Amino acid sequence: MADIDPVIHGKLRLAAVSLLAGVEQADFTWLREKTGATDGNLGAQMLKLEEAGYVSAEKRFVRRKPQTVYRLTVEGREALMKYVAALKRLLGGVL
Amino acid sequence: MTNSEAVGGAGREELVQRIELMEAMIGEGRRLTARYGWAFLLWGVIDLAVMIWKWLMPHSNWVGLWAWPIGLITATVLTIAGVTAKKRAWGVATNQQVRMIVAVWSVLGIAMLLFVGGGMLSGFTWQVSYMAGLLIMVGMAHAVSAIVLRWVGQGVFAALWGIGGAAMFLDPTHREVDLIMLVELCLGMIVFGIYTMVLERRYRG
Repeated sequence: MADIDPVIHGKLRLAAVSLLAGVEQADFTWLREKTGATDGNLGAQMLKLEEAGYVSAEKRFVRRKPQTVYRLTVEGREALMKYVAALKRLLGGVL
Repeated sequence: MTNSEAVGGAGREELVQRIELMEAMIGEGRRLTARYGWAFLLWGVIDLAVMIWKWLMPHSNWVGLWAWPIGLITATVLTIAGVTAKKRAWGVATNQQVRMIVAVWSVLGIAMLLFVGGGMLSGFTWQVSYMAGLLIMVGMAHAVSAIVLRWVGQGVFAALWGIGGAAMFLDPTHREVDLIMLVELCLGMIVFGIYTMVLERRYRG
């Protein structure tokens, strides 16, 4: 129970962290398209991940339009690995 | 604590769902290169249209001179517009594999620009080595993509382009050159584009 990181465990946050684990960086639109989340919900969850230090966000302008690019941090990757290990322990034989 | 009590009462099912979600999302991140079949289809159709245009008007100097530049510029502009629109709609994510694929096709684009531009300016476009160079360059880009993506299907198309390039050295007539180009465009561009789009749709579906 204590092993499960509540920040990672949230469904949308877990989806976002898992997506970022497979890429070097991704913008907000790509994450929204892959997760099927709304702008507001995804923005709020990404902010939580950013506050936890699991993702870094870089805001920039591309053709005068704002774009936020996210990267998984070292801490985020470690947290994801710990989360997977915790799931393995909890589920035991399933994995 | 039992499994069913894990995570504040969250059940085993929920944890399994989380694992499935992670697998699906990580898989999505690895499938960044699959959405460009339309570009091959576009180039194939435009190149084919140019060939037909030239066949229909064999005696027009204007068509002979400008058909390919117009076709290639149109294809380039539409490709850039399509890529930009797709990026705007679907967003952008990168990994090392994507950067490699983008590098290969970008370099091919620049090489083709120099090669075709140089060929047209010098009037050497009907030389065997010129036609062979065109086909082999495209084949090489497909081959590198196939190796990077570990995609046997694309490797088959790379071989097709390579064979077409080698066939140019068998002293073909103008008609046979047209036939080789037709086969390459239809199979190597149009069929490959449709094949990639079908795979993508199947995956999405």
